[in-house]
Formats: sequence, C-alpha cells, structure tokens
Amino acid sequence: MTFTQMTRFSLRLCLITILLLSVGTRDVSAKDNQDTYNYSYWGEAVPAPPAYLPTLLINSEQLETEPLKTPNDLYVSDNRYVYIADSGNNRIVILDDAFQFADTIEGFIYNQKEETFLNPQGVFVTKDNHIYIADTGNQRVVHLDEARDLVKIIEKPDSELLADNFSFRPQKVVADEAGRVFVMVEGVFDGFMEFSIDGYFTTFIGANRVQVDPLEYLWRRFATQEQRSQMVMFIPTEFTGLDIDDDGFLYATNADDSDDMIKKINARGDDILRREGFFNPVGDILYTTEKGPSRLSDITVAESGIYSVLDQRRGRIFTYNGDGHLMYVFGSTGNRLGQFQTPVAIEQYDDFFLVLDRDLGEITVFEVTNYGATLNHAVKQYDQGDEVGAFDSFKEVVKMNTNLEFAYTGIGKALLRQDDFKQAMYQFKQSLDQQNYSKAYLLYRNKTLREHFTTIMTVIILTIVIILGIKFYIKSKRKRVS
Amino acid sequence: MTKEAIKYPFYLITHPFQGYWDLKYELKRRDHLIMAYVIIFSLIITNILSSQYAGFVVNIYNPEEMNSIMEIVYVIVPLLFWCVANWSLTTLMDGEGKFVEIFIATSYALAPLVIINFPWIWVSNFLTQQEAMFYFISQSFAVVWFVFLIFTGNMTVHQYTPSKTVATIILTIVAMAFLAFLSLLFFSLIQQIISFFSVIYQEIVFRM
Repeated sequence: MTFTQMTRFSLRLCLITILLLSVGTRDVSAKDNQDTYNYSYWGEAVPAPPAYLPTLLINSEQLETEPLKTPNDLYVSDNRYVYIADSGNNRIVILDDAFQFADTIEGFIYNQKEETFLNPQGVFVTKDNHIYIADTGNQRVVHLDEARDLVKIIEKPDSELLADNFSFRPQKVVADEAGRVFVMVEGVFDGFMEFSIDGYFTTFIGANRVQVDPLEYLWRRFATQEQRSQMVMFIPTEFTGLDIDDDGFLYATNADDSDDMIKKINARGDDILRREGFFNPVGDILYTTEKGPSRLSDITVAESGIYSVLDQRRGRIFTYNGDGHLMYVFGSTGNRLGQFQTPVAIEQYDDFFLVLDRDLGEITVFEVTNYGATLNHAVKQYDQGDEVGAFDSFKEVVKMNTNLEFAYTGIGKALLRQDDFKQAMYQFKQSLDQQNYSKAYLLYRNKTLREHFTTIMTVIILTIVIILGIKFYIKSKRKRVS
Repeated sequence: MTKEAIKYPFYLITHPFQGYWDLKYELKRRDHLIMAYVIIFSLIITNILSSQYAGFVVNIYNPEEMNSIMEIVYVIVPLLFWCVANWSLTTLMDGEGKFVEIFIATSYALAPLVIINFPWIWVSNFLTQQEAMFYFISQSFAVVWFVFLIFTGNMTVHQYTPSKTVATIILTIVAMAFLAFLSLLFFSLIQQIISFFSVIYQEIVFRM
C-alpha cells in the first residue's frame, strides 16, 4: 500500500464511520429516510446499514461536452471506461476510469461514407474493447472494433420467423465471448434475438411465459369468435433489461407482475435463476396497491452470481446473491444526491455503482461502504467455496447488521465443516434455515449417541434385567404362597 | 371424581360407539362435565406449548406474533360455536341430545388431539427433516380420529342414522358461519350504538 492509497483508505474509513454514526444518531428522522432496509424472514422491512453511498454526481458541469440528452444506457468496459448511450444527442459518450470526459463516438465510416447514429439506446463493450451499439432509430446494431472501425452491421433480418411489417428497433445489446450477439428489440414478445458471429439471425431465446388471468380465461370461453377478436390478446410481456455474465448466461428483467421478473437464461433459453431466498427476487415485497409492485427496468451482474436490479418506480436498487437472498437495497426518488427522477440504467463494478438518470441526464456514482464491501466479499468467498474465509467475513457482517438472516447460514455452514455441530445448529436457527439445521442436527445426534453408546446400552439392558428380575421374583413368591 | 371418570376418555376414544352410549345413558353427568373441562384445558395447554416448544424442524414461530390468549380463543370459540350451532339444529331435527350432552361429547372427541400431540411436542425436538414426516402423519391421524369421534358422538347422542349425521354435521358448519356473521354484525352494531350515544352525550355536555 502506497502512502496515497493509505490516506485515501483512511479517509474513506473516516467518512464511513461518520456516516454510520450519523445514521445511528438520526433515529428520530429514520422514518422519512428509510433508504436502506432488508426483508426479514417474516416479510417485514427491517432497517439495514447502507451498502453503498452516493459520492459523486456526473452532470453537465463535470462533462466538458454538451450535456447528456435523454441517455438510455451505460456500460463499463473491462478497463473501467464508462460508455453512455446519449440517445438525444445521437452519440456515445465515453468517460475514463476517473469519470473524466474522454471521448465521443459520433459515427463511423461505412462504404467510404460517414454514417451517424439516430437515437442509439443501448451500448455494450466486449473484453477486447469492441463496441456494440443498438442504433435504434436507424433500425440496426453497429459493431465497431477497438479502433472504432466498423466490423459489421446487423440489420433487420430476413427470416420466416418474423412478420413482414416487423420493425427492428433494438434497445439493448450484449455479446458473449464467442461473439454471439443478443438483442432486446422493442415490441418483440418472443424473447431476445440471437445473432451469430457473422450477424445472421439464428433464433429467439428466453421468451417470457404468457400470463393468463383465470377469470378472463373463463370469460373468453363463453365469448363468441367476434367478441374474442375484440378482446386483448394474451401475449407475453417484453423484456426491460439485459446483461450477460462471464459464463455467458443472460440476465434479464421484465415488467411482468410475477415471480419470474428476473431471469437467468442459459444457452437453451431456460430460466435457471436460483430462488432459494425467503422470497422470490422481485424487488419490493411490501408495497401499497396504488403504487404497485416494483417495475424492474435494468439489471447488472457482478462476479460470483451477485446481481442487481433497478426498480424504476421507486428508484431503488436491489442486490441479490446467486441463491436469491436479498443482500441490500439502496437509492430512492427525490432531488438530493443519491436520489433520482427517472433512473434507466445501472452498472456495477469494483467498488462503484453507477445509476443513469434519463431526464436529468446525470450519472450518480455510489461508492461501497465498509458494510457493503464486507458483505460482497463474504458472498464471494462463500461462492468460491472458501468457507473459512466466508465465516470470518460473515461474522464481520453480522456485527454490523444483526438482522441479515442469510449471513448466519454462511457462518453455520463453516461451523458445520469444522464439526462444531452445536454452534452450527444455533446459527441455522438464527437464519431460520430448517434444512441446514436438520443436517447439523442429524450429525449432532449421531455424534452424541455414539459418544454415549455404552451408557445408553447399559441403562437399557439394566432396566430389562431389573424388570425381568422383579417379575420372576413376584412369580416365585406367588407360587410359594399358593 | 372417581378413578373411573379419569380413565373414561381413554376408554371412549378406543370404543367410541359403546363409550358414547354409556356416556348418554348410564353414567353420572357431573363427573363427565368436569372431565370435559379438563380435556379442553389440556388441549389449550397442548396448543400453547406446541407453538412455543415444538422442534425447530417442524415449527418456526414468530415470537412477536405468539399469543397464548389467542390460543385459548382458538379452542374455546369454535367449540362453543359448534355446540350452539349443533344444538340449535338438532332440536329442530328431532335430535335427542341435550346441550350438556353435545358439549361433553364434543369435548371428549378432542381427546386424541391432546393424547397424540402432547408427546409429540417433546419428541419433535429430536427429529430431522426426513423424520418430520412421522410428526405430520401423526398430526393428521389425530385430526382424522377427532373427526371420526365427532361423527360417532353426534350419531349416538342424537340417535341419528349415519347419513343424517353427515347432513347434520355439514349443516352445523353452515350454521357456524351464520353464527359468526351474526356475532360480527351484532358487535359492529353495538359499537355503532355506543358511539352514537357517546356522541349525543358529548353534544349535550358541550351545549350545557
């Protein structure tokens, strides 16, 4: 650690301590500023320490260029450059790793002609810095290489799977390591469009299931053909957000009010998201009927299966671990730093969390707190199978937030590995984890029975002998009497 | 209280037809009334204890919502509703049972719920999830036994045929729903009347 790193670290530590202290002393006003909470096993929202805190606002003052106009997407590349799809200005804005303005992409050369973008809504950068741009207004996806030279253009495909009046309006785009491109297209209900490395349309992937209202279904059974044609069709909902993890799994959100608002889609198009938490990962589980459930609009995947979704309706960001346990919630709508008007896109990397606000044209930068960092670290260690490391980290986490129930499972599993069954049982009880408790208890019971085998057997045999002896004694006595 | 009276519930639940017959025609009513209270009381105790002490593998309870008073209500209120509804129906349907007999018969039918569930409270603490199946099977068995006893009790006390008993039981459940509705209506009306008079009183006081 160099000196500057040291000072920065201690400064950050100071800042966090101050913030944590201020959270502690702000008990009276805690009601009107409940930004950070978590859901307990019983479905109650319990306060939790903030995992991320806003540190910086990137707006027109920070940018040495025209202010952003209705930006729709952002992506952080592997070298920590931030790419913003500045839809209103028909360009891509690039910030460097210190959030300073670096460059813009206004167009590209195609057939010796200068081409420009029209309302580009999505941007994606691969590991080798190839850029994919969903050029929505021009109905195409543009693929540029690291020198910003054109590689290929994906236009409206010629396929019998598509209707003639189909309009190809790509909104979000991702590419996997093999170069396959997945595009989220406006008005397409059949899932994402998958394109091969050469830009040929191969298939749709991961369609949402149709939601049927049973009452409406019954109603429809009695309707005539003509009436039926007047009714709304049962069609699956569109996707709202898309991201890809290092293993090539697609993470998607949709606006369905159902249990599979968030999906993890494998190569076959199956949803393989783990939903092992107390509740399905759907954002808020407590909400008023007038405001309705969370409306998820973007998703971002971090390493170790941790993913975050953005609730557009309330400006909240929910982060789940790979098993589907809610790790933390932060963000809200409002006018202060760390609050948004129309959040559209989120991006998570290293210690940072970026939230893009469309109408304000601003990016809020959140930085991880000590609590968030410890929790992230614990989940990562646990995911990698480093249970001893996870044990210590989860212990730290629990010290900062005793209400985080799933952390106790992490502690318990490590204890189970160390053959400390009794303590493990206690921890699983804390996390209300019956399954693991049962496992620990079985081992504990076997151990106890084995340890006390001689005592138990002696007692049983002695009792039998004594009972038989007494019976025999009474019998012989009776005989004597008779 | 004779020793016989204490043993009687055990005899009745294993020999329901003979047991209920003897209960109706042969035995001293006072002793059985006391035993009925004892059974109800032990059922309440069993329920309270099981919500607190049953093993973690079969019972997750929220300490904030645990309420012993409500456990008492959950036993007493349905029981009284059942007895009142059953009595009101059977008097109209040529049933021979008196209210006391219905009450005693119903209370005795609760005995399996105590006899089976009470030991399981403690045994369930030594269970793993695979073995928890036995716990749930026994619980269901207790309920089935209870329903069977209710059926026999009803049949014997009122001297009904089996089909008429089934019809009475179904109608009793409907009548219970009516009773619940009526009591809710009653309480809400009483509340409104009270608030009406209290408002009148306040008006008078303010104007004086």
